[in-house]
Amino acid sequence: MAELLNNYYLQIFTFIGINALLSLSVYLVLSTGQLTLGNAGFLSLGAFTTALLATKAGWPWWINIPLGGLAAAVVAVGLGFATLRLRGIYLAIATLGFTETIRVLWVNLPYTGGSLGIRNIPNINKLFQRFIQTQFDEAPLGLSFSQLANLTVMLGVWLVVTLTLLFIIRQGKSRVGRAYTAIRTDEVAAGAMGVDVVHYKVLAFAQGAFLAGVAGGLTAHTTFAIAPADFAFNKAVEMLTYVVVGGSGVAFGPVLGATALIFMSESLRDLRILGERMSDYRLIIYGVLMMVIMVIRPQGILTPGLFKFRGPAVPSDEQAGVRKERRVRRKGVPS
Amino acid sequence: MFLQQVLNGITQGGTYALVALGYTLIFGVLEIINMAHGEIFMIGAMTGYFFVTKLGWGLVPGLAAGMVGAALAGAVLEFTALRALRRKGVTNLAPLISTIGLSLVLQNTMVRAIGGEPRSFRVPLGNGMLHFGPLMITTAQAVVLLISVVLMLALQWTLSKTKLGRAVRAVSENPETASLLGVNVSGVVLATVMLASGLGGAAGVLVGISYVSVSAVMGLSYGLKGLAVIILGGLGNVKGAVAGGLLIGILEALTVAYGGPTGAAYKDAVAFGFLFLILVLRPQGLFGQSSAATRRS
Repeated sequence: MAELLNNYYLQIFTFIGINALLSLSVYLVLSTGQLTLGNAGFLSLGAFTTALLATKAGWPWWINIPLGGLAAAVVAVGLGFATLRLRGIYLAIATLGFTETIRVLWVNLPYTGGSLGIRNIPNINKLFQRFIQTQFDEAPLGLSFSQLANLTVMLGVWLVVTLTLLFIIRQGKSRVGRAYTAIRTDEVAAGAMGVDVVHYKVLAFAQGAFLAGVAGGLTAHTTFAIAPADFAFNKAVEMLTYVVVGGSGVAFGPVLGATALIFMSESLRDLRILGERMSDYRLIIYGVLMMVIMVIRPQGILTPGLFKFRGPAVPSDEQAGVRKERRVRRKGVPS
Repeated sequence: MFLQQVLNGITQGGTYALVALGYTLIFGVLEIINMAHGEIFMIGAMTGYFFVTKLGWGLVPGLAAGMVGAALAGAVLEFTALRALRRKGVTNLAPLISTIGLSLVLQNTMVRAIGGEPRSFRVPLGNGMLHFGPLMITTAQAVVLLISVVLMLALQWTLSKTKLGRAVRAVSENPETASLLGVNVSGVVLATVMLASGLGGAAGVLVGISYVSVSAVMGLSYGLKGLAVIILGGLGNVKGAVAGGLLIGILEALTVAYGGPTGAAYKDAVAFGFLFLILVLRPQGLFGQSSAATRRS
C-alpha cells in the first residue's frame, strides 16, 4: 500500500486530474459546437491570477483558485461575444490568437516575471504536510507525511473532477444542456425554435473558461513555478487531443482520453525495448497513436451509442422513452 | 526609413505567403487544415541544408532538393494521415488530430536524428548590398524575394493554365462532379498535397537562407504564422494568402521599428492580435467571400 502510493504516482494522478478538468473545459465549449483553442489562454489566465494573488498579495489558496477561475470566466464573456459570429476552424484560430496574445502579454508585462514566469508559489502539498504534522505525532496508515499530503491533494483534485463530471451530466439533461445540443445540431434552427443562441454560446464559453481557470489555479498551487510557455499552442492542442481521442460525444470521453494518454506517456518513460530507452521515443509513439486512433475510431474511443446494447434486458422507463422517441423520428414525423 | 521598413517587411512577408499558400491549397481541395505543414516546411529546410552545406550543391539545386524532400513528406502525409480519414461520417476534427499526430512524429524524429539545436546554413551569396536610391537590401534578401515571387507566379500559372491546375480547381469546386467528369480525384489530391508541401519546403529553404540557420524545431512558429495568414486572407483563397502574408510581414517590421523599446518583444503577438481584430470585424477574413466563415464546417 505504502509503496503503491509513492509520491511520484500520486503526483502523476494529480496531474491527470488537472488535465481531466482541462479536457472537460474543452468538451463543454465543444458541446455547443464551438471548437476552441482558447482554453489554454484561460488556463494561463487562471494560473497567473492565482500565482500573483498568492505571491504578491499573500492570499490563501482556497480564495486564489476560485478567483483564478472567475477571472478567466469574466474575460471569456468578452471573448465569447467578440467571436460569436465565427465558426469551425475560424473560431479555433481566433481563439488560438487569444492564447498566443496572453502568452506574449505575460512575457512582457511587469510583475509576471518575463519568460521565466512566477516562482516560489506556495505549494498546497507542503501546506497540508505541515498541517498534518501538527495534528499527528506519527503519520497514520503506515504512510509518510508527504505521501499523506500528496494523497489528500490528489483526492481533492479528483473530487473536483467528479463533481464537475456530475454537474456536466446533470446539466446535459436540463434545459441548458438541451439548448447546447440544439445549438450544436443546427444553430439557425435552434434560434428559430426560441433558443437564445447568444446567451447559451457565451455561457458555454464562460463555463469552459471557469473550469480552465480553476485548473490553472490548481496547477499554480501544486507546482512551485509557472512559465508562460507552459500554456501555449502545445497545451491547447494537448487539451483538444484528450477530448478527441477519448470521445467528444460523451462527458466521460475527455476524462478517459486525458487519463489514457498521460498514463501511456508516463509508462513509456521507464520502458526499454531492444536496449533503447522508450522515453526518447515518447512523443513519436504518442503521435503515431493519435494517427492510429483517428483511423480506427474517428469519433474517439467512447461514443454515445457504445454501451447501449449491453443495457438491461428490460429497459427502464427513461430508456424506453428515448427509444420510442427515436422510432418516431425515424418514421419522419416532424417534431 | 518608413519605406525601408516596408521593404524589409515585404521580404519577410514573401516567405509567410509561401507557407500560407501550402495551407490554402490543401484547404481549397480537402477542406482540411493541415497542422503538419509547419513540420513539412522544416523538412524542406533540412533537406536544403543537407544538400547545400554537406554536399556542396548550389542555391537553385539545393532549393529544388528541399522542395522535392518536402513534397515526399507531403506524400507520406497523404498516405498516412489523410487518405484513411477521407470517408463519410468522419468529423473535421479527426484530420486535425491526425495531422497534429504526424507533426509530432516528424518533429521528434528529426530531433532524435540530428538534435534540436540550430545549425548554421550559409549559402555563398556574398555580403553585398543593393541600393535603390535611399533603399537598400542585402543580396540574400533580394534573392529570397526574387525566388518567392517566381514561385508564386509559377503557382498562379500552374493553377490557371495547366491541365493539372484545371483538375485541382475542379476538385476544389466539387469532388463528386469532377469525378463524374473523369477527373482522377485521388490523384489530384495527392498532387495538390505534394505541390503544397513543395511550396512549404521552398519557404523553409528561403527562411533558412535569410536567417542563416535551420533547426529541427523551426516549424512550429512558422506554421502558426502561416495559419494566421490564411485566416486573414480567407481560407482557400490564393491571392488572399499572398496579400495576407505581405501584410503581416510589413506590420511586424513596422512594430519592431516604431513600437518603442517593447516593439520587438510584441512582434510575435502582431500577427495574431491583428488577425483577432480582423476576425471580429470581418469574420470571413480580409479577402474571403462572405459565406466562408459562416458556412457550417
